[in-house]
Amino acid sequence: MTAPAAGSPASPPPDSIPIGEIGVAQGCGVLRMLVGSCVALVLHAAHHRACGVAHVMLPASTGRRTSPGKYADTAVAETLRLLQEVTQDPDVSCTAKLVGGAAMFAFRGGVPIGEQNVTAIERILGERGIEIVGRDCGGGHGRRVIVDVATGAVTVATAEHGTQTL
Amino acid sequence: MTGADHDHERFAAAFHRGAEDASAALATWLDRPVTLVVERFVSLPIVAALAALGSGEEPICGCAMRITGAVSGVLLLAAADRAGLALAETLLERPEGSCTSWGELERSAVIETANIVGCAYLNAICAALGPERADGILPSPPIFLRDYPEPVMEAALLEQPTAADTVLLAQTGFVIDGASFRCGLVFVPDAASLAALVNDGVEPGPRP
Repeated sequence: MTAPAAGSPASPPPDSIPIGEIGVAQGCGVLRMLVGSCVALVLHAAHHRACGVAHVMLPASTGRRTSPGKYADTAVAETLRLLQEVTQDPDVSCTAKLVGGAAMFAFRGGVPIGEQNVTAIERILGERGIEIVGRDCGGGHGRRVIVDVATGAVTVATAEHGTQTL
Repeated sequence: MTGADHDHERFAAAFHRGAEDASAALATWLDRPVTLVVERFVSLPIVAALAALGSGEEPICGCAMRITGAVSGVLLLAAADRAGLALAETLLERPEGSCTSWGELERSAVIETANIVGCAYLNAICAALGPERADGILPSPPIFLRDYPEPVMEAALLEQPTAADTVLLAQTGFVIDGASFRCGLVFVPDAASLAALVNDGVEPGPRP
């Protein structure tokens, strides 16, 4: 079973999660995305064989109410809510995996936006007591992310840095 | 035509001039016909803009230049991997099919191309801006990239200091010596420079 992506309740979500969106699925199948500076936030509820995946773009919503998947602070809460909905378990227990947050150009000084995304998500997950059990973050390259919904296994492929499974 | 349309048209004219000048500069360097044509000059939602360099899972190659000053943003020159290697073969005067991976020489050839094309483009934009604003435009040295197309565009968009939901793209076709190569040149201005350019207007100026 696949639940609607946030913001598009009437249409079934594709396997590929667009930037700023959230996909949730249960039972079987995969969810996928390509990330550079963005972060793939994967919440896996092993007991229910279900996953929620957010394609997070920026660290803070600063009060914006639309596109909850776009911002770290709203994406964690919304992905968890959708996971509760699809599993019909308000106390759903899950673990997290994070992929992405690269600094692909490094033109600018200061903390790269990718690192800010990762830091924000880690902080929010910590506040909610959600354990991070896998991560492949940082570096200067993009990543192709494929999430096995049933097992929560996350395959991360790159153009020049090989493939691994988290 | 609305005022916004008129501003958009004037801004687009500056990029068309940039494409002409980049064609001439590259043709002089390579000593063969080169044509860059602005194919699309559009405002797009971010999701649509991500596909500007392609949407497949095959890697692309190319270069990125950070532009700062009166116009700020990221200039991307990108091509399918095989097209980029074919470009390197031409630039290095090697036989067709002889470049099969990205070594130092191949990367240098593409970086030099990006430098020439990017600077010619920027000179034309400087001319359009007028002398009082043009002095402040500064390109970074090109960075070579080989990666999936969507993360490259995503990074270019997030490099901008804005959370805007739409971006402006100038997408350019790039043909050397007939139809041998297809490359894309995409300019992603930041929101502040886009607003300044549209508000102030840009006229195609004299050639630099």
